[in-house]
Amino acid sequence: MTELTLNAQTKNSTADIVKTGLSKVGLSPLSLSMFFLLALVPLVLRDQYWLHMMTICLMFGALSIGFDLSAGFINVANWGYAAFMGVGAYTSAILLERFGITPWIGMIAGGLLAGSLGFLTGIITLRLRGMFTAILTWFLGLTMVALATQLVDLTRGSMGMMAEELFDTYVKDPYYYTILGLCVLTFCLVTRMVNSKLGLAFRAIGQSQDAAESLGVNPTYYRIINFTTSCTIAGVIGGFYAHFMCIITPEFLHTKHTIEILFIAFIGGRGSVWGGLVCAFLIIPALEFARPIVEWRFVIYGVMMIVIMIFMPEGIAPHITNAVNKIGQRINGLIHGEADQGR
Amino acid sequence: MEFLDLWDLILSGVIRGGLYVLMAMGLSLVFGVMNIPNFAHGEFYMIGAYTAYFIAQYLVPDPFICLLFAGLSGFVFGAVAEKLTFAPLRKYTKGNWIMNTFMVTAGITFILQNVVQATIGVNYYGINEYWGGTINTLGGIGISVDRLLAFALAMLAVLVFWLFLTYTKTGNAIRAVSESEIGARLIGINISFIHTLTFALSCMLVAMAGAVLLPINPAYPTMGLQPLYKSWFVVILVGMGNVSATLAGGLIVGLIEAFSAYYLGTGWMDVASLSVICMILIFKPSGIFGSEVRGVWEQ
Repeated sequence: MTELTLNAQTKNSTADIVKTGLSKVGLSPLSLSMFFLLALVPLVLRDQYWLHMMTICLMFGALSIGFDLSAGFINVANWGYAAFMGVGAYTSAILLERFGITPWIGMIAGGLLAGSLGFLTGIITLRLRGMFTAILTWFLGLTMVALATQLVDLTRGSMGMMAEELFDTYVKDPYYYTILGLCVLTFCLVTRMVNSKLGLAFRAIGQSQDAAESLGVNPTYYRIINFTTSCTIAGVIGGFYAHFMCIITPEFLHTKHTIEILFIAFIGGRGSVWGGLVCAFLIIPALEFARPIVEWRFVIYGVMMIVIMIFMPEGIAPHITNAVNKIGQRINGLIHGEADQGR
Repeated sequence: MEFLDLWDLILSGVIRGGLYVLMAMGLSLVFGVMNIPNFAHGEFYMIGAYTAYFIAQYLVPDPFICLLFAGLSGFVFGAVAEKLTFAPLRKYTKGNWIMNTFMVTAGITFILQNVVQATIGVNYYGINEYWGGTINTLGGIGISVDRLLAFALAMLAVLVFWLFLTYTKTGNAIRAVSESEIGARLIGINISFIHTLTFALSCMLVAMAGAVLLPINPAYPTMGLQPLYKSWFVVILVGMGNVSATLAGGLIVGLIEAFSAYYLGTGWMDVASLSVICMILIFKPSGIFGSEVRGVWEQ
């Protein structure tokens, strides 16, 4: 009997060690196993079309994680998010075209440039709160669209720019693994961030900036960190997008695309980090299935957006958490029940 | 620069600006009364333009009748949209009102644009002219009658609306709600009626702008984007929710655009005017004439 308990204890502690180890990199057993499953997908799914869609899902998932970092935590919705993504895309494409720099460095450069723009935006929006920041980022985004259209020498204007592919193959597997890697990185980074002291400060600022300030939280510092990180993520993913889709137009920077990301992040659940990732895997294939009904699918999209905002503004994440917890309790109950019977 | 060029620029700027006043007034009103930053404002402009087109094409090509019908359809669509979305949202939402309404209006944009695209199609529907012809102004610079007419009708609509807000009981009730919702409730104003009316009126105004501009901008599903930006430009410039100042703001924006188009070309005009908005937001977020609802913004 004693031996058994001891055994259970040691087992428990190894599980704990694994858990703390994982949480140090920002993962939990559940998210790790989910990412593992995602990594197995190309082995099972050989259809290129589906793999392409899964890649897009992961891309939007990663973007919505980055978006959620500012929308869900410091309560600033970045309405120019697609423009920051576009900055990354254009940077990478231009670097490749003009200087022949490999897209891998291009992506990082794109991330850095978008990040520094995010840094500047963070600085100039410091005095602003809530909606003001959203509106300012919206108009900054539109300014970038107008610039991308006007700087014809650099971006070829509204004709769009071709970017070479990242991999010289027609199978989608390498793209899938690249974006999966980026997505896991993003997820780990953001989770680590929000679970640390930074995350507490972010949440405090998001709930009430004045209250946070009076408690000695310096909003300047935290808001800038938050904005910079979020925009860097957008830039890197944007660089990937450029070499995945192989064409970028100024249209790509438009508010419409921000709304797509925002929609996924908000339905996923503000402040949940993983909600958007899950939601991307639900929404994007659903929209793809609805392709035959052309415009009506966007009507459904709009109706869904309104209905969710009215009846479920917190998104699906809390509901999923509840369901998972219930299942966990059920399983726990089953195991313990059996153990009791055994005794 | 010659005097005549200057005169031409000022004239075209003012005429342009007069229509911006008509577009922006409703946006500002809705923000002042209901605290909704309306992203779907341009879609009601589109509804107005389509209504005017169908009236002009199949009934009578008379600008006044087109204007009336466009206003009516804008009013009806606005009222329905308010009853279907913001009324229940107000009932269920518990905070974060501004962000949620912004999302809801984005949803309305998606719905209206795509329903129109699916049913009417992506073709341009325009009419050549309401009356046609040009009028020579000072120094022989011609201005098309339609443009002048659009300006006159816009000013007329703004004037009527202004009289309505100032001299009628309902208009006063709207202003009372924008000042203090609780106070308005205390003296027995039916808030939900006022909200619906305000939103419908705002949509009516912008739909009228769509109707009078039909000879210049033909109707198509995504035509609402430009008016949306211009309206936002005006209300940010003068201060959100400050309805009376939109009159000055619209004219200023019209002049800024006319001059920047002259000096920089139309492509750079967008960059210039957007940069001006960003500057205002950064340095004077409450707008040049100040806004009474600043506290709401900072939520």
